[in-house]
Amino acid sequence: MSLTATYKLSARLFWRDKGMLPASVITPLGLAIGMPTLMRNVTAGGVTAAAQMFVGTLALILSGTAFLNITVALTMRRDQLLLKRLRATRLTDRQILLGEVASTATQTVIVMVISAVAVHLLADVPLPRDPVLFAVFAVAGAAVMATLGVAWTAAIPRGELAAPMTLPFFFLAGLASGAMGPIVDLLPSWLHPFFAALPTSAVVDVVRASYGPGTLGSDLAAAAVPALVLAVWAGVALLSIRRWFRWETRKS
Amino acid sequence: MAAIQVNHLSKSYGSFQAVDDISFEVEAGAVFALLGRNGAGKTTTIELLTGFRRPDAGTVRVLGLDPIRDRAQVRGNVGIMLQEAGFFPDLTAGQTVEIWRDFTPAARPASEALELAGLTAKAKTKVRQLSGGEKRRLDLALALLGRPDVLFLDEPTTGMDPEARRDVWEVVRDLAARGTTVLLTTHYLEEAQQLATNLAIMDRGEIVVGGDMAETLAARVGRVSFELPSVVQPGELPLPATVRGKVAVVQAADPDLAAQTLLSWASERGLRLRGLEVRTASLEDLFLELAHNGETAQNSTTTRDARA
Ligand SMILES: Nc1ncnc2c1ncn2[C@@H]1O[C@H](COP(=O)(O)OP(=O)(O)OP(=O)(O)O)[C@@H](O)[C@H]1O
Ligand SMILES: [Mg+2]
Repeated sequence: MSLTATYKLSARLFWRDKGMLPASVITPLGLAIGMPTLMRNVTAGGVTAAAQMFVGTLALILSGTAFLNITVALTMRRDQLLLKRLRATRLTDRQILLGEVASTATQTVIVMVISAVAVHLLADVPLPRDPVLFAVFAVAGAAVMATLGVAWTAAIPRGELAAPMTLPFFFLAGLASGAMGPIVDLLPSWLHPFFAALPTSAVVDVVRASYGPGTLGSDLAAAAVPALVLAVWAGVALLSIRRWFRWETRKS
Repeated sequence: MAAIQVNHLSKSYGSFQAVDDISFEVEAGAVFALLGRNGAGKTTTIELLTGFRRPDAGTVRVLGLDPIRDRAQVRGNVGIMLQEAGFFPDLTAGQTVEIWRDFTPAARPASEALELAGLTAKAKTKVRQLSGGEKRRLDLALALLGRPDVLFLDEPTTGMDPEARRDVWEVVRDLAARGTTVLLTTHYLEEAQQLATNLAIMDRGEIVVGGDMAETLAARVGRVSFELPSVVQPGELPLPATVRGKVAVVQAADPDLAAQTLLSWASERGLRLRGLEVRTASLEDLFLELAHNGETAQNSTTTRDARA
């Protein structure tokens, strides 16, 4: 019961936060729809390139709508002693954080689905061949990224630093997944395994498989390693939350 | 069983001892005032009692439970008004209460909570547009939502106008009469004297005075003050007095009797005692006396340190 309450509150605040919407929704959505559409119209054989790029831009949605957004929202609420006030109620710590994560993940999945439909209509990118695979990893990826965002707040001393301390991951994730085009091929090859180990890349890899040709067997094979990657990141996030999460700003 | 039991409780921030080995109990249905100067350790104590902070030493029991280990259960039965906590600025007062009701099983109706806090007229106002005192009222409305058995109020009336303050007193008295245990802090000593049945005065983390309000005050002296007539030397007065400027102050266990003695002494000599004031012991006198003692103690420590 109370989990639904925190979930509802968090969702309501998400869509009302006019300060955050440009970073949490408009930019990721704009890039995920705009860049593939541009690709479609300027290059020959544009549909393939557009599809390639669209899948990469999902990393931007994951890091903008999930990670960046929850990090900024939670550090702000921590600074304003809103988390403290929530803790003065009958809610448990788990209900408060889980509500935030679940709501952020939901908004993220909504943005991903909107962009998939939009590029289908605007850039002729086909819909995923395996929508279940797409959906499972969209949800899992969004949840893991939101949980990582909760954990990351512990490293941020003040609310104003939340965005600057989180934006680098947005660009890194976009770069690694090809959302910025094939720049990644120009970087030294020893960086590639590191890029592939990012949670955003894990989701993008599976989503790529869900768009490409394949069978149930090949889909499951493609999902195995990324699932493991996401599980490891989820573990890291949960352990750091346990160890370091702060409900109030450090006064000292 | 006492509703709140505190046993040898201590808490430090780094090397600073904010709460230093305090013990007290609050009986169910009692109103307990925790007093003391800024930085005395009141808020820290409340945060220890409500499970926001973990004690370094000692134990806390609220309704027989440990506020940290049994947090869920304790929170189900207490209402907390923190000294400082934020609101969502874009929600209205009414929306805030509605949302908080979702967090609270068997919550009061929103209208009732707003009414108790005297905020009905502001239900549709955004929190960012509420005045300081109105925000404090919203705070109270949230603390009362769950019909708590124990109420913690950290400076509940700070920033409220005199009328609002009296309304809050009324609410607190009413709740206490129905069996709610209340622990409050305040810098308004009249408020403490009006509401509390028991008190503790903290100074630098320690409880320096504590006990039943009436008994504590009865053990203190009252005072009579007046302008010393210019023809009179202090030594001539029938009672020992201290003189500051033109004003003479006589301390006495029974200030009424002392005033009578002084007046008849004066009329025998055809003198008038201008500006005569008779005061029974008030919490304020006690408080100032303690603060004064505290300063002297501190000064003597500094001198000793300086010499060493
Ligand atoms: N998080 C903290 N870190 C370090 N010192 C702290 C911290 N919180 C409080 N203090 C110090 O502990 C002392 C007690 O603080 P506390 O807030 O309990 O006082 P208080 O009695 O409630 O004062 P006031 O009447 O001003 O509200 C103060 O000197 C304060 O500076
Ligand atoms: Mg305080």
